[in-house]
Parts: sequence; C-alpha cells; structure tokens
Amino acid sequence: MIGQSTVLAAEFPPSVEDFYLPSILPWGAEDNYWFTKITLLVWITTAILIIFFLVANRKPQLVPTKRQWIAESVYGFVRNNIAVEMIGPRGTAFAPYLTTLFCFILLNNFWGIVPLVQISPNSHIAFPALLAVISYVLFIAVGIRHHGFVKYFKTALIPPAPWFILPLLIPIEFFSNFMVRPFSLAVRLFANMFAGHMLLLVFTLGGFAMISANIWFIPFSLVSWIMTIALTFLEFLVICLQAYVFTVLTASYVQGSLADEH
Amino acid sequence: MTGHEPPSKPQGDDGPNPPDTGMGMTAVTYLLAGMLVWGGIGWLVDHWVGTKGIFAGIGAVIGIGGGVYLIVRRLGA
Repeated sequence: MIGQSTVLAAEFPPSVEDFYLPSILPWGAEDNYWFTKITLLVWITTAILIIFFLVANRKPQLVPTKRQWIAESVYGFVRNNIAVEMIGPRGTAFAPYLTTLFCFILLNNFWGIVPLVQISPNSHIAFPALLAVISYVLFIAVGIRHHGFVKYFKTALIPPAPWFILPLLIPIEFFSNFMVRPFSLAVRLFANMFAGHMLLLVFTLGGFAMISANIWFIPFSLVSWIMTIALTFLEFLVICLQAYVFTVLTASYVQGSLADEH
Repeated sequence: MTGHEPPSKPQGDDGPNPPDTGMGMTAVTYLLAGMLVWGGIGWLVDHWVGTKGIFAGIGAVIGIGGGVYLIVRRLGA
C-alpha cells in the first residue's frame, strides 16, 4: 500500500500535464495526442447520443415506451424551457440544435465524475472553443438572414443614442457582441470543467501525499477523500448547470439576433 | 404527457419580453468591454505620446461611462 501510495503521490501538486493522458493508439506513445482517452470519450459520447435517439424514436408510439419517454422529455425540456422561453414562438426552429448542444455538453461533462473515467473532454479548451464557434456562426448567420447583412450589423452595432456619442459606443458594442461572446462561452465551460477536475485531483492525490509523508496522517487523508466524494456531488451540479448555461446563452444570442430594434 | 407541446400561452410579440437569463451577463460584459476597449485605446495613445498611463486611465473611465450608458439604453426600460 505504501509503495502504491508513493507512486501516486509522486506527482502531488497536480499540473496541466495531468490533462494530457497517454496515447491509446499507438499504445503508450510519448507526445502523441491523436488518439487518447479524451478522443475516445468524445467518440463514445457521440455514439451514445446517436444510438440512443435513433433507438428511442425508431418506432414512435402514442403511448411512449420508457426510452421514448426519456428522449421526448429531454427534447421537450430544451424546446419549452430554453428555446421557446428565450426566443419566443420562433424558438421551435432552433430546438433541435439546442437539444443536441445540451445533450452533447451534458454527456461530455458527465465523464468528469463517472468513476474510473473521471476526466471530461470539455476540460480541454479545444472542445468548448469549437462549440462556441458553432454557436457564434449560428447567431450571426441567423441575424444576417433575418435582417439582411447591413441592417443586422446596424442593429447589432449602433445603439439608440445621439450621434455625437456613437463613436464612443460602437467600439464597445463591437467588442462585447462579437469578441467577448464566443470567448466567454468557451472559457466559462472550459474553466469550470478544468477547475473541477483539478479540485478532485488535489483532494485525491493530497490524501495519498499525506499518507506517504507520515503514516499518522491517515485521519487527514480520510477527510480529504471524503471531501473528494462530497466535491463529486458538487461537480454534478456544476456539470448540469454549465450545460444549461451554454445552451441558454446560445439561445439568448439567437434571440438578440432576431430581435427588432427598439 | 404534459410538457411535450409548446406552451400555448402567448409569448414573443404579444406577451412580455422573454425572461432574460443572459441579461446579467450582458451588463457585466458591457462594463468590462467599455473599460477594456477605451482603456486599451488610451494605453496605445500613451505609448504613442510617451506618457505613463494617464490616457489609459482617462480611457478606462470614459469606457465605463459608455458601458453604463449602453446598459441603460439597451437593457433599461
């Protein structure tokens, strides 16, 4: 036990290196990140979602089966409580995208607390960044289609204000609408998942570090591991919340693109 | 089987505005964006003129002012 704990505790202050897991294909290759646990998890997530929704809706029945009920509940939740609630009656058109986004983020985040898996692909900024880019392109495209190119940028950039103050306001509008939005979307999700994984690492490895430092520290180690379990439940909250927030903010940006000037 | 039909109560154009969960974020974004944009421009002016941060300070204050103004115009009333 001591031997094992020293091995684990050897890398006690966890670092960013802990997010770069060893390569799976080719097995154990150094500095090769093309196919790692992260890649595998994303593919599994995608496969689960595709298969689940296909199977659930293969023979839709009037009185739904259990699987169909779950799928319909998820879709109904996103459509009614996010899409229609935020965007209004036109929100139904965006419900499929928002549902996909919600499920994909939720499941990807969820890997962060599945025992023995315990790392979320979203703790690498590449995945949140790509999702944010998709949402960014979506809300700009929707705005351009709804208003036309010139009018969309006019509504987005020129606030209702007297002309002499406009030069002051337009750069702020540009910065906050077209630069901060995608950035904050991506960073919010990434940072939450990154910090969550880091927190769990600190408490788990900290327990081992204390034991290997001095065997009398066992009570503290136990407290540390109990904290890990408690934090796992907290993580569950964060996971659901971040999936929801990403989806709601995307919906709110789409709503902003569709809104008429007021 | 409730909750699978879109809610029938009028929303959007007829009803009140959709509840804005993103409103708080927008407000914070405007404040920060105002400060960063005009503070940044002021910082560039500083570099160009050779002063040590006076324009960055003025820019940040003006930027916050613009941010507050934008919040009032876009989100208020």
